Amino acid sequence: MATVEQQFEWHSGKNRSAGVPDAIEFIDVYKSFGSNKVLQGLNMGLPEGMISMILGPSGTGKSVCIKHIVGLLYPDSGDVVVHGQSVPSLSDAELFEFRRQFGVLFQDGALFGSLNLYDNVAFPLRQHTEKGEEEIAEIVNRRLREVGLGDAGQKMPNELSGGMRKRAGFARALVLDPQIVLFDEPDSGLDPVRTALLCELIKEIHAENGGTYVVITHDIMSARRVAEYIAVLWRGRIVEAGLAQDLFDSENPFVKQFLSGESAGPLGME
Amino acid sequence: MNELLAMPREWLSAAGEIGRFMGTVLSDVFGARVLRFSGETLRQAGILIISSTLIIWALMFVLGLECGIEGAYFLEAQGAPAYSGVFAAWCDLREIIPYAFGYMLAAKVGTGIVAELGAMRISDEIDALEVMGVDSMVFLCATRLLGSWLVLPFVYIAGIGGAFLASYIAVVQQVGVVSSGGFELIFWEFQNPTDFLFSLTKAMVMATVIVLVGCYYGYNASGGPVGVGTATAKSMVLNLVLVHLIGMMGTQIFWGQSPKAPIGG
Ligand SMILES: Nc1ncnc2c1ncn2[C@@H]1O[C@H](COP(=O)(O)OP(=O)(O)OP(=O)(O)O)[C@@H](O)[C@H]1O
Ligand SMILES: [Mg+2]
Repeated sequence: MATVEQQFEWHSGKNRSAGVPDAIEFIDVYKSFGSNKVLQGLNMGLPEGMISMILGPSGTGKSVCIKHIVGLLYPDSGDVVVHGQSVPSLSDAELFEFRRQFGVLFQDGALFGSLNLYDNVAFPLRQHTEKGEEEIAEIVNRRLREVGLGDAGQKMPNELSGGMRKRAGFARALVLDPQIVLFDEPDSGLDPVRTALLCELIKEIHAENGGTYVVITHDIMSARRVAEYIAVLWRGRIVEAGLAQDLFDSENPFVKQFLSGESAGPLGME
Repeated sequence: MNELLAMPREWLSAAGEIGRFMGTVLSDVFGARVLRFSGETLRQAGILIISSTLIIWALMFVLGLECGIEGAYFLEAQGAPAYSGVFAAWCDLREIIPYAFGYMLAAKVGTGIVAELGAMRISDEIDALEVMGVDSMVFLCATRLLGSWLVLPFVYIAGIGGAFLASYIAVVQQVGVVSSGGFELIFWEFQNPTDFLFSLTKAMVMATVIVLVGCYYGYNASGGPVGVGTATAKSMVLNLVLVHLIGMMGTQIFWGQSPKAPIGG
């Protein structure tokens, strides 16, 4: 068993400020599942209005981070702050209200299997707005066209490929014009061309709608394409964080290894 | 020693957790929070009607036949064929029909709910609901419970009718030991509307428990597709145990003191 110093040898925790306030902050967050310590004193800030990427090897707790941001999981200790609001201290009623500012794309799309694509995308509108069917149809069709699924509205989720499900999940995440959009590995399981196209799409839609985007990935190519801000997560803490270019130029051995995808370096199979 | 105690302790804490879960869903229904999703409630009710009614009736009918046949042959052998109606009446209304209903409900509806909600859980659909600001317990569990309350009493009542008819067919038409009038006279003499209400109560308690157990195991499934399979099996086991407990307790409470035939000792 490595000592604490060895485990966090490369974690300089260096955070090169992006020069804008943080929309989302993790403050000394610890989270374990039984004996599995996932987050171990995570301090991370994600800047307002930018596309941030959380990069890190599989199983380091990236999805767990997203669930903390929207209050699906609570930290054992520490705090998660979104737009100045402490998420763990919200009451249930406040939490449901709070969540409306988010759009979340889950790792596999999480489309409702019993509804077709159109109804999936319309779902948040029907639940949360008083809009009539005509207006809903206009919005839903626009969002579906945006992600290239204009004529797939009547298809059921199980008739779609993984990539199509992700794009549909993307359309659903955007339909209420959220201020913060969270993407859990939009690129996993896609071929390189589709990944590139999806990255383009994320950039385009961000340019058009604005807002804070947080993208989780372990794909360096995607990071190079879309990231404006990068946080590298490993063993439940930030190794380094900062503007994308600064991180790509980083001298930190772990960051260097991870961002260049080499086998030699601090990260092994464990 | 400690390992021996670990098992019951686990069961106890699971029982507590299931109890709390059931309490929440029931309060969502009685507290009218479920009415926000009346569309979904009606959809669930519709699904229940379309997918489960016929198979429930079929089992009830077959067992009604069986009660009739057994009663007729047995009482004929004892030299009292005229009393076949008693056996049919009690067998149908008090015991076999509620059990048949419970079994089929557990097998078809209960496991269906576990599979459905379990699949939603492991594919993050329940998290997605929560993130969209929808209370998933109300949306998924309370609507299913209310939907089944809307539908199942009628399914059950119609099923009793079918079982009675089946017993009649078996005794009067097939075995032919009693006349139609003779059967009916005895059949109706040995039951009354209260019996019918008791039977309905028994069945609805079973239905409520089965739906809630299904919701619990589905909603809390974990561990991928295998986990959903395991949860389905567990729910079936628990539901069968509970169906028998409810059946037994119902009989004791409702008919144990009955002056017509006290079986409570
Ligand atoms: N609800 C949960 N209960 C128990 N353990 C969990 C739970 N959620 C996550 N974990 C554990 O937390 C760890 C981190 O999981 P997480 O899904 O966040 O990883 P990840 O960084 O998203 O990995 P990947 O890139 O493969 O998606 C894993 O070891 C996982 O088993
Ligand atoms: Mg993940």
